[in-house]
Amino acid sequence: MSDDERDAPATPALADALVGLRQRLEQSFAPPEEGGIDWMALYESARRRFAQVGGMRDIPAEIDDFGMDAAALADARTWLDWLYDRWWRVDVVGSENVPSGPCLFVANHSGLLPWDGLMLAHALDRHTPESPRARFLVADWIATLPFAAPWITRLGGVRACRENAERLLRTGRSVIAFPEGAKGAAKVFRQRYRVQRFGRGGVVRTALAARRPLVPVAVVGAEEAHPVLFKVETVARSIGIPFLPVTPTFPALGPLGLLPLPSKWSIEFGAPVDASDIGRDALRDDTLIWRVTEELRSSIQSMLDAGVRRRSSVWS
Amino acid sequence: MSAPATVAITGLRTFLGLRVAERLAARSPRMRVVGIDLRRPQRLERKTAFERVDLTDPASHAQLAEIFARERIEVVLHAAFRRDPTPDVELDHELETVGTLQLLHACAAAKVPRLVLASSTMLYGPRPDNPLYLAESRPLHGHPDAHCVRNRVEVEQLVGEWARAHAHARVTVLRCGWIMGPTHWDRVVRHFSRPVVPTLLGYDPLLQLIHEDDCVDAFEQAVLDERPGVFNLVASEPLPLSAMLRLGGLHSAPLPPALLYPLRDLASRAATGDPPAAFYDYLRWPWVADGERGWAAFGEPAYTTREAWISFVSSRRLRQYR
Repeated sequence: MSDDERDAPATPALADALVGLRQRLEQSFAPPEEGGIDWMALYESARRRFAQVGGMRDIPAEIDDFGMDAAALADARTWLDWLYDRWWRVDVVGSENVPSGPCLFVANHSGLLPWDGLMLAHALDRHTPESPRARFLVADWIATLPFAAPWITRLGGVRACRENAERLLRTGRSVIAFPEGAKGAAKVFRQRYRVQRFGRGGVVRTALAARRPLVPVAVVGAEEAHPVLFKVETVARSIGIPFLPVTPTFPALGPLGLLPLPSKWSIEFGAPVDASDIGRDALRDDTLIWRVTEELRSSIQSMLDAGVRRRSSVWS
Repeated sequence: MSAPATVAITGLRTFLGLRVAERLAARSPRMRVVGIDLRRPQRLERKTAFERVDLTDPASHAQLAEIFARERIEVVLHAAFRRDPTPDVELDHELETVGTLQLLHACAAAKVPRLVLASSTMLYGPRPDNPLYLAESRPLHGHPDAHCVRNRVEVEQLVGEWARAHAHARVTVLRCGWIMGPTHWDRVVRHFSRPVVPTLLGYDPLLQLIHEDDCVDAFEQAVLDERPGVFNLVASEPLPLSAMLRLGGLHSAPLPPALLYPLRDLASRAATGDPPAAFYDYLRWPWVADGERGWAAFGEPAYTTREAWISFVSSRRLRQYR
């Protein structure tokens, strides 16, 4: 044994052993020739995900000014596609009515979770992939819900208020609004496809102020995805949500019951209402605003009625 | 509109006071800067005069008026605010709110034509129903539990009333976001300098910063040129808290609010006199300000939020070796 070897500390020996062990492990988990699972890749991605200290390499690349995260969207694309194509088999009708520029989509709303907004934004993204992704507005209580709210923001949800919608429209992004608001989400099953009052005309005011067209949209199918049999309000208020829905599966099946039912969806775009030639003076004309709001509401209602008549069953 | 020849700075020992004083002194040989504070800063440009005034002293308005008249002060930069709130709530109120009142009396008595006020976008208050991008016209809700924010809201109200009552005076109010950079230090910076940063589980608001150099630039300009009005002073491109932590490679400890608030309660009351909600609500609800008006008046900041954060994080790493 030479002097060098005797003086060397124990650590290199340990390091050698570790390197050997690692090589051995890599051999056993090496990617298979064909098919099968690449364990090393899985391990590597899990390590990256859980290692907090990513430093500059893991710079979250594209987060826009309303918190939409391009990386999160790209990750979510697989299951968004799956929901769109397989689960709800979404059909799009009247896509020729979608204007090329940014506009304000006005749709009927249902369900506590913003599935309709996610799917509508996804449909628009597929229809016009080159334009910036349309952003859907979500109710206050969803926008402040712990855990859910950050994810909804990352996937393109924005808290519903006029300032946010106007800013989005002004900066060249389309907005999807559900002016029924909480009343739409709170519809019980026997009220399905009865469009509720449209707030106080805020959508029309927003479109007028931003000089963007309004596009009525009817979403058929979403109202059966979470059939609310009845609502419990007393318990819900105490945990900060407007009401606790009781569906055939929730809360009976626990969190599993939150999964939406696989109804067949169709999304119909109506003829756009051009707000740009009405003029800004109309902003002070309450009668006009109420009339346009009511026209929008009734056109969505008639599209819904036609859509419900057209389909043969809820599931196909 | 020429640059003023004499400038008074209250709170000379604060970050803003000292940095703006240095900039002004380096700028032109004719510029005279009078710094006002309780104690002389350790390092002071020779051209900067120092006057000792205690703003909590009931007679300080006369003392200030005498200084302003003697030096023929043309602009006052009011930056005598606590970097960190103290548990002595009364003293903070005396210094910040009543001290501002003393200063305003002195400005009126000495007929000081211009006043620049250092303020903060924290005054809008973190609220679940805030729209993103709060304009300067939004009401200042502050935070009900944070006495330092409450004082500063009151300061802005006092200054606003004073400006309306004294039509000859032009007032500039700059509301800064969280200031970050290699040298700035306050409780926000301290929070993000911990080995493990406590955050609220389930919440991930967009946060907005301003780099310390951009901040000092804007205040220097506000002192030199007349730009009356209220402006938000923030960097563009706000980032979610989670992205900032990931970007900086910081370890975070997400705790549920029900656990974090009681856990931090004693420590927080000992350090600031406020319950922890006063700070952690700023990591919970949105309070992002709209910087466009400020950018139009003072130029776009050189650093985005991401760049300001990287500047802070990289210097934080170096601090460990100092």
